[in-house]
Amino acid sequence: MKHAILSCTGLDKPEGSVAREVTIRFADATGSEIICPVLLNRAPARYKKALSESSLIVVDGCSTRCATKLATQLEAKVERKVLVSDAVKASGQPLESTLSLGPGGLTLAQTIVDELVRNLNAPAVAAEPVADFETPTEYLVVTHDKFEFRIPVVDYMFNENDVWARVLDGVARVGISDYMQQKLTDVSYFDSPKMDAIVEQFGELGSLESAKAVFEIIAPVSGTVVAFNGAVVDNPALINEDPYGAGWLVEVKLSDWPQDHELLLNPAAYAEIVKRKAAEE
Amino acid sequence: MAETTFTGVPRDQIPWFPTIDYDKCTFCMECDTFCPHRVFERREGARKLVVANPTNCVVFCRACSKTCGPDAISFPSKPETIARIKQIREGLAIK
Ligand code: SF4
Ligand code: SF4
Repeated sequence: MKHAILSCTGLDKPEGSVAREVTIRFADATGSEIICPVLLNRAPARYKKALSESSLIVVDGCSTRCATKLATQLEAKVERKVLVSDAVKASGQPLESTLSLGPGGLTLAQTIVDELVRNLNAPAVAAEPVADFETPTEYLVVTHDKFEFRIPVVDYMFNENDVWARVLDGVARVGISDYMQQKLTDVSYFDSPKMDAIVEQFGELGSLESAKAVFEIIAPVSGTVVAFNGAVVDNPALINEDPYGAGWLVEVKLSDWPQDHELLLNPAAYAEIVKRKAAEE
Repeated sequence: MAETTFTGVPRDQIPWFPTIDYDKCTFCMECDTFCPHRVFERREGARKLVVANPTNCVVFCRACSKTCGPDAISFPSKPETIARIKQIREGLAIK
């Protein structure tokens, strides 16, 4: 499939200038179409064809995520996302404060483009899931106003950050709760963790994104990432449709389950947390 | 409401909450609009937004910082916070 690339304009920030540079260089390197965010906003029909034929690369300068917010109003599938301010942090070098890019900004832009191109040519493969689980059938239900939040009665353990773990043969499958799924609304992007990454309990297992928020997946367990759900990468709506089943996210080979287990909540205790959170809203 | 705890540790003993860098903050209020837990409060005067209820913050959540364009929100180190929680649990002999 062809690609189209949409970035913020970011004209008032150095990170925005990097986003713009990344967009131009990526389009040059791959022959992709550039989607101008201002024109898209004024005359969306102009890009209808390009968007229906391409998968989208979205580049934001800062956490205001203007390009992402624009993209969520489109029907397009988002294949990759870049947040320049995160890339700056990851590089360990502060960005020059000028709007015309200096050598540091230009190097960063090229690094981002190289990685994007590399990933498109060799997408991360989700290993086969290790665990074989049956979908839960019995739920606790927390009601608040017109909302109902379901929590499986057995087998699932939770952290207070609305992430569940289900364990079988030394592997935990991880996903988000029904409550969090409803809070995020339609999930548009799953940034999966790297295969073989080592994660501590309460560390990060990638993130989810919707029009409303970016959600860090906070690891309920410690261990090694052995699989992530490729079907969810292709179709994040599965998370909203079936958060405890087909919408699972990651599998982690456990390194210290007895320890981790002590710091997790059983379904009844998690139901109390959901009640409290829902009441605060 | 009963005193809240996190994994058995009283919440007010866990120093996890956002800190606003007022040199960067533009008082756009995105973070306050986003967070449902009434951690922030809007005020009159120069500092139009403050972290008023730090213990309402969900331990290990960092979501509001991802809404902040100027990157003005920071959190303590996670590993240090985890170590501290484990230490307190040992002291309380929580099983
Ligand atoms: S989102 Fe950032 S800039 Fe906006 S009010 Fe909050 S701390 Fe300040
Ligand atoms: S970290 Fe989460 S709970 Fe804490 S103030 Fe920010 S959004 Fe609210």
